[in-house]
Amino acid sequence: MSILEIKNLSYKYGVGTPFEIDALDNISFSVEKGEMVAIIGHTGSGKSTLIQHFNALLKASEGQVLLEGKDINESRESAHKARFRVGLCFQYPEYQLFESTVYKDIAFGPANMGLDKAEIDRRVRKAAEFVGLKESMLDKSPFDLSGGEKRRVAIAGVMAMEPEVLIMDEPAAGLDPRGRKVILDLIKNYREKTGSTVIIVSHSMEDVASVADRIIVLNKGRVAFNDSVEEVFSHEKELREMGLNIPQITKIFSELRSFGFNLSGNVYTVDDAAEEILRYLHKGGN
Amino acid sequence: MIKDITIGQYFPGDSFIHKLDARAKLIVVFLALVEIFLCKNFLSLALVVLFAIVSVAISKISFRVVFKGMKMIYFIIVLTSILQIFYNDEGTVLLDWWKIQITTGGIFTAIFMAIRIICLILVSSLLTYTTSPTTLTDGISRLLSPLNKIKVPVDTLAMMMTIALRFIPTLIEEIDKIMNAQKARGADLDSGNLVQRAKALIPIFIPLFVNSFRRAYELAFAMECRCYNGNNKRTRMKQMKLSWRDAVAFVIIAVMLAGIILLNHFFGAVI
Repeated sequence: MSILEIKNLSYKYGVGTPFEIDALDNISFSVEKGEMVAIIGHTGSGKSTLIQHFNALLKASEGQVLLEGKDINESRESAHKARFRVGLCFQYPEYQLFESTVYKDIAFGPANMGLDKAEIDRRVRKAAEFVGLKESMLDKSPFDLSGGEKRRVAIAGVMAMEPEVLIMDEPAAGLDPRGRKVILDLIKNYREKTGSTVIIVSHSMEDVASVADRIIVLNKGRVAFNDSVEEVFSHEKELREMGLNIPQITKIFSELRSFGFNLSGNVYTVDDAAEEILRYLHKGGN
Repeated sequence: MIKDITIGQYFPGDSFIHKLDARAKLIVVFLALVEIFLCKNFLSLALVVLFAIVSVAISKISFRVVFKGMKMIYFIIVLTSILQIFYNDEGTVLLDWWKIQITTGGIFTAIFMAIRIICLILVSSLLTYTTSPTTLTDGISRLLSPLNKIKVPVDTLAMMMTIALRFIPTLIEEIDKIMNAQKARGADLDSGNLVQRAKALIPIFIPLFVNSFRRAYELAFAMECRCYNGNNKRTRMKQMKLSWRDAVAFVIIAVMLAGIILLNHFFGAVI
């Protein structure tokens, strides 16, 4: 059974006002346990609205969200429980820190779950380790940290709930290239170690191509593509019409292939590219 | 929820009322409010009600929006009306039980008060519905500019008001975001007793304040970088001009004043 299943989900903003908009229109897909899925779309495509349905922050106008086969909006209780099973980390999460110490802030989620002290302590330390925060930082005020550190504290705050599904909304937004890589590696690492299901939301193909198993492309509140990375990238023209771009290096490789070089189609990073070229040269080319 | 509050919101449009000069509109609204208080009987009140309804109709803002915006105030209206019932002992007695006495006079006053408050809100909210915040503060500062002579920093105050108004929607959006983020971490905002609920607000308000201070610093730096100085005599991109529309508005308000005085005089006072 899929861990998360979205069935014919529609959502309208501002019902009954002159500003009514269809934010989401009949969306259906499912996510398997342990999968890393990327949801991609241009600004305003409905990505952020969509993910807020996964933990019952928003209630769909129509359709259902099933978590292991059960509707999360069944009751108030099930909606509340879904918050812990589906961990949602918003865009720019560093602006939501509020506690006096980093430790307490990370412990906020687990404490809300009603866990005992020893378990909270274990989870806080584990999450801090995952995101690469040193022990000595736990007693500092979160407001004294650098931007990148704050972001990692906020991400740890969600990871500490040990959700079965972790959703990250634009985790790398506003960071420099090195910061982006650190955050994306951290998510990849988290998934490998815990085996949790991860959903990454982004508008940048470059960020997610190398980490995701599958890409769901949203366009104007509808699912445009739902396929493997390779398959989605083969629709370069349609993607461009939706305001999306495939990674530069992938584009170069597809050009090279069209010149008759027998190169692989799933090259998403410069490292992949270097490897692929070496492989090609060793083989002697043809 | 929090986004449903429409009082103070601006709805762009190009109706007669939208096009009135901000200064004229401020004065007309002020006079209309005074006139609402001058009403002494139901006939003069009816005139005011007619004025309010016609104004809303002309502004092309839907009545549904206007009344939805008043949701928060219904409680105050009902409370004031109920109090009025007990504070008036004129007319025939309808109910006499223990220390409570309800009279026809009391009922009339209650209805009168309710209508009066609704009119007050209709007219004053129409001002913000049809005037953009910046135009409004501009109008206020122009009206208050004589105070400059007695060293009141009118322009600085106007700038403060503009900034405050400008950030209301930003803050509402921010509260929404922070609330969602804390809810996603299992914060329970809508159950528990008063103390628990107050405590649940801490995770919302601390980030809100922190972010507001950050924003304030950034804005102040940005203004200083562009050499902002509150004391400079500033010219305006959009010059305010009085037009025939403003004259019409003043005539209407004057005629209404005369009507209210006449109706009060000839038909006696209920209040």
